[in-house]
Amino acid sequence: MVNGLNLAFQFLDSFAFVVLAAAGLAVIFGIMGVINLAHGEFILFGAYATTMSVTNLGLPLPAAMVVASLLTAGFGVVVERTIISGFVPNWIGQRTVGRDLIEPLYDRLADSMVATFGLSLVMVQSARILFGNSIDTVGTPFGNVAYGAFSYSTYRLVLAGISVLVLVAAYYLFTRTTFGTRVRATMQDEQTAKALGIDTERTYMLTFGIGSGLAGLTGALFAPVLSMQPTLGDQFLIEAFVAVVVGGPSVVLGTALSGGVLGAVSATVTNLTDSTTFGRIALLVAAILALRFLPGGITGFIERFQARRREEE
Amino acid sequence: MATDSASATDRGALARIRGRLEGPNTIGNSRGFWLGFAVAVLALAAFPVVGSGESFSLFLVLALLGLSLSLVWGYSGVLSFGQVVFFGVGGYTFGVVSINFPDATGITAAAIAGVVGGGVAAALLGYFMFYGGVRDVYVTIITLVTTMAMHTFMAQTAGSEWTIGEAPLGGFNGMPGIPLLELGIEGVASFQFVYNEMSLLGLFAFDPFYYLALALLLVTYLGLRVLVNSDFGRVMVAVREDQDRTQMFGYDVKRIKLLTFTLGGALAALSGVLYAARNVYISPPVFALWFATLPVIWVSVGGRKSLLGAVIATIAIEYFRLSVQGEMALVVLGAMLLVFILALPGGIVPWVAGKLSGSAVPVSELDDADAPGEVSES
Amino acid sequence: MSSETERSEVSKQASGETASSDAERSEASGSASDPASDPNVRETPAGKATGDRTDTLLQTDNLVKRFGGFTATDSVDFSVDEGELRCLIGPNGAGKSTLLKLIVGTLEPTAGHVYYDGQEITDMEPNERVQSGISMKFQVPSVYGDLSVRENARLPVQQLADGAERRRRVDEAIENAGLAGYEEVQASTLSHGQQQQLEIGMAASLDPDLLLLDEPVAGLSVDERTEIAERIRRLNREEGIAFIVIEHDTDFVGEIADSVTVLHRGDVFREGSIEEIESDPEVRRIYLGGEQ
Repeated sequence: MVNGLNLAFQFLDSFAFVVLAAAGLAVIFGIMGVINLAHGEFILFGAYATTMSVTNLGLPLPAAMVVASLLTAGFGVVVERTIISGFVPNWIGQRTVGRDLIEPLYDRLADSMVATFGLSLVMVQSARILFGNSIDTVGTPFGNVAYGAFSYSTYRLVLAGISVLVLVAAYYLFTRTTFGTRVRATMQDEQTAKALGIDTERTYMLTFGIGSGLAGLTGALFAPVLSMQPTLGDQFLIEAFVAVVVGGPSVVLGTALSGGVLGAVSATVTNLTDSTTFGRIALLVAAILALRFLPGGITGFIERFQARRREEE
Repeated sequence: MATDSASATDRGALARIRGRLEGPNTIGNSRGFWLGFAVAVLALAAFPVVGSGESFSLFLVLALLGLSLSLVWGYSGVLSFGQVVFFGVGGYTFGVVSINFPDATGITAAAIAGVVGGGVAAALLGYFMFYGGVRDVYVTIITLVTTMAMHTFMAQTAGSEWTIGEAPLGGFNGMPGIPLLELGIEGVASFQFVYNEMSLLGLFAFDPFYYLALALLLVTYLGLRVLVNSDFGRVMVAVREDQDRTQMFGYDVKRIKLLTFTLGGALAALSGVLYAARNVYISPPVFALWFATLPVIWVSVGGRKSLLGAVIATIAIEYFRLSVQGEMALVVLGAMLLVFILALPGGIVPWVAGKLSGSAVPVSELDDADAPGEVSES
Repeated sequence: MSSETERSEVSKQASGETASSDAERSEASGSASDPASDPNVRETPAGKATGDRTDTLLQTDNLVKRFGGFTATDSVDFSVDEGELRCLIGPNGAGKSTLLKLIVGTLEPTAGHVYYDGQEITDMEPNERVQSGISMKFQVPSVYGDLSVRENARLPVQQLADGAERRRRVDEAIENAGLAGYEEVQASTLSHGQQQQLEIGMAASLDPDLLLLDEPVAGLSVDERTEIAERIRRLNREEGIAFIVIEHDTDFVGEIADSVTVLHRGDVFREGSIEEIESDPEVRRIYLGGEQ
């Protein structure tokens, strides 16, 4: 019974971690075809902004989290305008040498990896130079839940709940709002979307902003439980990546399902082997197998399965 | 093409050799190029007189790793973050075998085992992916995840149960005590390359390992030149350009990708063997994410479709990264990456070569690493 | 690869079928179909023999392809004889490209079989089918844009010949494509028509027995179309290559076709000579939706 509870908590922990880590990346990769290797650093941005808002500005924690997420979103927009779409450099280029200077990084997977990796180097090192090797953390709120000989941080339970809220909010945004429809149209077929009068440039900019904001939110949410070092983004990056690709084309459902599946694998193995390291390895191996046997990810598989069911009728 | 390039109808052994080494798939198809190449090689050979051969040899070793990615990515279109997996497998295999058999014969066998081990690992992963129908970005992701899995796994091999014969894997602390690189057959003829300062005519001291690395790099570079300009090389390029179309000309694309990937793995493993031999030590950070990304950076900046670009960029970037002290170095490196990939997506060396040969190709029209290609259905 | 046993299996099945339908079909092979035969000819052969025993080069048997709920290819029995120049026409969405892709192997059938030159090729990879003698030029021109014309032309040929013989074949392919003098030009800078010519040349340089062309003259001028029609006829006459050509231009079809197959909603609707097809009111109906 106690072990069952342990397992449940480990699962919730993994699920929350994967979903929150992946949310921002899923939005950007799914919609813009850009791989943001600086995703971990956007999380870093949000975490540091939260921590410093509390310690230096004295903001209460929830307010600090909101502020941090918005700041990260803003920073994301700046990055999008300069590096991803090249809007600003090309604007300058047009006015000086009369031509575009750079191509947008949309759907250029390898190039976006290199560019954002460069960005991540700059960000991590800047954080180190500006703030040193670590900064003071904020305390974990809410205390613990006790059961048997174990106790579990209530805050981590809250995180699990928030991760579900994030999924629901994202779902609502993408399916029930005009903005969401515009985004999905652009994702499906950019040319047609443009022909229908959708400002695809602005859509990409806002999408990147939202993705960055989500990453910032993740950093903000995890700030109380992590040690504040410039490299804290690393631990999120791989899980995020893996979850996004395993999830498949459907941004919200894919993230949810891969969070569930990968979280379950990780939690089970961690529980059985008493080692989070093996849990992580199991998660990675599961991802490799999923990518090999479910081309198109989980939701891709579901779509094909439904199609096959239909044709049998 | 330059008018003094060798054609297959030229008589003379030199011209025939040049004919094999030159072609549209490599930069430098003129007498001028080979002259410059010879000068560069001589300069590198003379370098230990003025500089530290011991330090510089690292860059020569890593250049092999860069070449392995250029082969796999630039020439076959497979963006692999997994080259460091084979690098690490090569290094660890070398370490394990040489620690267990620490005489010249054993160490030589260890080196061979390392290269073979890397090749086999690449063949297995390649088969798993290509013959499983995995394509494009998913191949890249799988290689990246494999690297992460290896990193996590090797980092936890700390306990004493993780020992192969006499060689403890050592977990996060790595595996020290790798025997000094001595190649040959014990008791018959062998030579020690590492930590064996020799002197030429009593005038200056040099490190034989430097010349071993240089020789291997040279042989590999020239060998790859021959390969990519051969029939097989042309098919590799065709696979990179449009693998579906190439299949429709009767070529077994899966097999070609597997062969190239295996060769790339063996090459990366060779680099890993030399790396472990040079440092007499190997540890899990060779599987880390940042190290896995480095070859992608070297090759992107240098020009992924250029062997020469891979070599020059690797040496230059690593030299800069490791010699410039201070935290600003990484900031500058990161910024450099950003600027180069956005401004010169085709890489520096092809751009320079284009300028030198007088072709006025505007920068925005150079080969883009992922220019959108034709969409082929199913 | 093919085995004697496979071929005899297939021919056993065929000979089990009515001998008369065999005779009818070999009469109809390679030329305009007999007006006396039923214009609604759609007999269902079971594994009809292809290869040495008969003139039939390619035969599909109850070939089906479904995409989700949509049936693109609906139990198609389709055959082409050696050296026959067949055109495949039909309204948009009829499944013409799908059928060609099923024949060359880039699509896997949901059900059914494909036989070619005495073997069952249903499970063969595309590159193996190409090695067996089928070659295809796709709808979207896909020469290797960054490579020169010569490098493009060399790629298919390099596996067939070496040295002087290879050079000869490459030069021949370039010349037949009308691109003599353009050897070092980057293929992406060629005009659309030139790219089509180059691609047809590359597909033909494999010495195929069956060449599939998906809209070879789309987007070309009248002159270019005439050139290509002539080229196809020459390849057919001089090299004995069988063709399956998808085209919408009825003039073009008239210039080249020995016989025409009309596809509609994924199945064979009519087969016959171009005159028969053009004068058939049913065919006009499926194109125009009942008008006229």
